[in-house]
Amino acid sequence: MISAVKNFITSSQLSSIAQNTTQSVAAETTLKSIGRPGFILIDKDIDSDTKQYAAAKEFLYQATCLAVYMALIVPVFKKGGFQIAKKYIFKNTEGFEHFKDVKEYMHYRKLADNPSVKNRMSTLNKEKLIDNTSIRDKYNTTLQKELEKQNPDKFVYVKGAVELSNIIGSVLGLAILAPQVSHAFIHPALKALGLEHKKDKLPQNDIKIDAKA
Amino acid sequence: MAITDIIKKTCKSLGENNKPTYVVMAIAAVKGICRPAFTMMDKTENPETKKYTALREGLTEVIAIPAYWICGELAGKIAKKTFNGSEALAKRAETNLMFIGVCTAALFVIPGLCSLAIKPIMNKIGFKSPHDIQNENNSKKNIDIKSPATPVQLENTAQKFNIYPRMSTFTSKPQTGLRVGGL
Repeated sequence: MISAVKNFITSSQLSSIAQNTTQSVAAETTLKSIGRPGFILIDKDIDSDTKQYAAAKEFLYQATCLAVYMALIVPVFKKGGFQIAKKYIFKNTEGFEHFKDVKEYMHYRKLADNPSVKNRMSTLNKEKLIDNTSIRDKYNTTLQKELEKQNPDKFVYVKGAVELSNIIGSVLGLAILAPQVSHAFIHPALKALGLEHKKDKLPQNDIKIDAKA
Repeated sequence: MAITDIIKKTCKSLGENNKPTYVVMAIAAVKGICRPAFTMMDKTENPETKKYTALREGLTEVIAIPAYWICGELAGKIAKKTFNGSEALAKRAETNLMFIGVCTAALFVIPGLCSLAIKPIMNKIGFKSPHDIQNENNSKKNIDIKSPATPVQLENTAQKFNIYPRMSTFTSKPQTGLRVGGL
């Protein structure tokens, strides 16, 4: 049991998710979409109709955020950020010259993160593209030589540029764009679920006079 | 320092160690400003509800920022202490536990803290939810019939109690023109 927990905590897969902005934000938004509605539903101070309405609204908001994030922000900022950094900020230096796009870098990074040189090279030789050409042929001699080293260069500037553009995209997407989209989407969705109608039906003026007090 | 140098420095730092807390704290900070601003710009909602909702949204993010930071850093410190044998393993464990800390904050800590703290804070500031205000208005109205009633003070009672109409009210004769004798 303890060793399983230890393996989980030191797992390289979890580490790559944790170091990847897109994946960690997606995981966090998914958890938010469970946690926030859950806490609203267990709140004892709210009546059941309001609870249902608020929980559904919060869930739909987080789900919209996740959808907008995955559909628009991730592809646009990941690719755009890499290209801007390559062409204008780093001007094809600091490792950017070895990679055509972000996909190529991420593949290289995944191999470089593998601690065993033998496993790394066998993966590189085995993997093929859709048109049956070897991935090894895509890598220039510098990258191939790096992968043969025990501690290959991970090109931190490239990784940093990808992560920075992802952070900017996440902030803009989740804090500015997603609330606007969700605002347009949530009310029709709640109406379709029959929750908006239920809320409107709640008693407005139910004054009772207690003459016995 | 030129802006490109700042970007390069930031890229280097993020490339070496991209802590999971950075992005969530940045999102929470911008959300804390933008969400209330968008709420206040909504023209369909009434001003009191807008103020209440905006303040609530702002407070949620104000709670979220330190919660993410504390949970992440605390989990990272625990990892450092537990895996102090190997440096590579300790670094990986630190990143992973930081991420788990951030996830715990998102799933339990922040919603829990918000449901515990926001209502009392709002009440202290003097903001009550539109639902609470409606409940107060709709609460039972108690009419006190046991305690003695305070006597009503009337001014110039003689005039007030003279409820009989004046005789001139009932006169059938014309009120205009020349009057000869009588009333």
